[in-house]
Amino acid sequence: MRLTHRDHLLLFAPLAILVGGWLVIPALVGLSATLTTYSPLTTAVAFAGWKNYSDVLHDPQFGEAVRNVAIFALVAVPLELGLGFAIAYVLRRPIRGRSWWRGLLLLPWLVSPIAAGVMWHYLFSGATGIVNFVLGWLGLPEAASPIGDVRFALAATSAIEVWRMAPFVTFLLLPGLVAIPEERWEQATLAGASWFRRIVNVALPEVAPLMLSVGMLLTGLSLGAFDTILILTGGGPGTATLTPALYSYDRAFVTNDWPSGATSAWLIAAGVAVVGAAYIRLSGRRSG
Amino acid sequence: MRAARTIAIAAVTGAFLLPLAWTGLAAVGVLPDDSMRPPSWTGPPTLDHIADIGVAEPTFWQELATSTVTAIVAACLSVAVAFPAAFALARSRYRGRRAVTQGFLVLASLPVMAYAFPLADLSRRVHLIDTFAGITLAEAAVTAPLAVFVLHGVVGQLPTEWEEAAVIDGAGLFRILGRVVLPLIAPAVAATLVVMFVLDWNMLLVPLVLTSGEVKTVPVALSDFFTFERELDWPTAAAALMVSLAPLAMLLGVFHRVLESFALQVPGDRDIG
Repeated sequence: MRLTHRDHLLLFAPLAILVGGWLVIPALVGLSATLTTYSPLTTAVAFAGWKNYSDVLHDPQFGEAVRNVAIFALVAVPLELGLGFAIAYVLRRPIRGRSWWRGLLLLPWLVSPIAAGVMWHYLFSGATGIVNFVLGWLGLPEAASPIGDVRFALAATSAIEVWRMAPFVTFLLLPGLVAIPEERWEQATLAGASWFRRIVNVALPEVAPLMLSVGMLLTGLSLGAFDTILILTGGGPGTATLTPALYSYDRAFVTNDWPSGATSAWLIAAGVAVVGAAYIRLSGRRSG
Repeated sequence: MRAARTIAIAAVTGAFLLPLAWTGLAAVGVLPDDSMRPPSWTGPPTLDHIADIGVAEPTFWQELATSTVTAIVAACLSVAVAFPAAFALARSRYRGRRAVTQGFLVLASLPVMAYAFPLADLSRRVHLIDTFAGITLAEAAVTAPLAVFVLHGVVGQLPTEWEEAAVIDGAGLFRILGRVVLPLIAPAVAATLVVMFVLDWNMLLVPLVLTSGEVKTVPVALSDFFTFERELDWPTAAAALMVSLAPLAMLLGVFHRVLESFALQVPGDRDIG
């Protein structure tokens, strides 16, 4: 149906009030605060120019945090997409109780990020954990928890993220794979395409736009990684698992350096905005 | 071939659920004993640890209720405001509408940290800190952009004939939305509600910065154990984890068929009428 300007206004108004008031305005207030000395407890506010940015960007800890989150996102997002796609690919053809399998597989995603942190804290550790239990069965000596080891801490947190999100990716990709018409698979099979060719030539082109959107969501989540790491390592040992979000939280709430907290938070947002612009361009090219 | 696929699925599902099963066993007192070779389990199953939660965290059951109420209200609110906007986007003919829709997905991907502190600061100024309303409205706002993106895809798939017929019958805009469009996409809306509920239930940072301890959700209570370095014993922690997962798991059990109709549709040009 044809919508008038007035209709548009009416239909968008509730969303604009809610998202504007509780998300966009706070975000913009945060952005303007990055250029000032504003903090909730002070009364005098002065213009600070780029000082907050240069402070944060010159802080070696923030550099560490950016490096960590880049590794985290580059490892976790492709693994989540790959593993999620592989499981969805196996589930795509009707098997008995598919909706049950799909539901059961979604269980890890239902565990909140912070609960996942609490859970894996115990699962990785000595007496209560699953790791040493398996090692014991194999007759191997006990291993220390990877979250306390500088070399493995980041890998362990990435693994938890993959464990939690890969099933969600399957859940999101499965409808796209199921929707591919049966003839496409048959044609490929008749043409003698191997299973690998079928994935590359039939499945991937169909779900590519969907995977791009899912990839966007996952990248944003990874760049903002906070909850699980907060409880699992608090950013440690040392700065091995420090992320910009944890850095920002620490500056704003622990050391009460509000301008640095707001500025580092906005630098993450800027990263997501860059990825978002690339996403809109890329998907525009696909369907345009 | 079909059997092989079923086995593969069962194996993968088992691997993903093993950590949860381990936690579930610990919650009922079945714990690993590494001193034996090979390791085995100890302890008869017991429900005592569920009672212990209330000892370790006296307000746990209250927090569970807070989480439930805020998540239900926030999910309903975000879907309620997202649906009209998604309809408007799907039926509008402006040139930039695809980029706007994708902009909502980018907004949904924006790390909460980018607006969490100013949100807390502004909420304090308008006295919405430490209130149900403040936390619920904020949670709803955070999940609304994703709801718009999802529902836009759903409405975009819907043929316009039903609405055209209703227009000819003289129905107004809101009548069409409520009586024509909504019933047609009810399963997808229900699935969206479930997903939003899960996202709201699991949210940490937003309810954390909006409370000084009066109104606490379960994730905020869990974060206390980090902040104050309190150490829980594993069976009690496992019981708390299982109890707070139970409502979501039950929801999944009830709605697993409805969730089949949850699909992210990518905004394309083909649905422009």
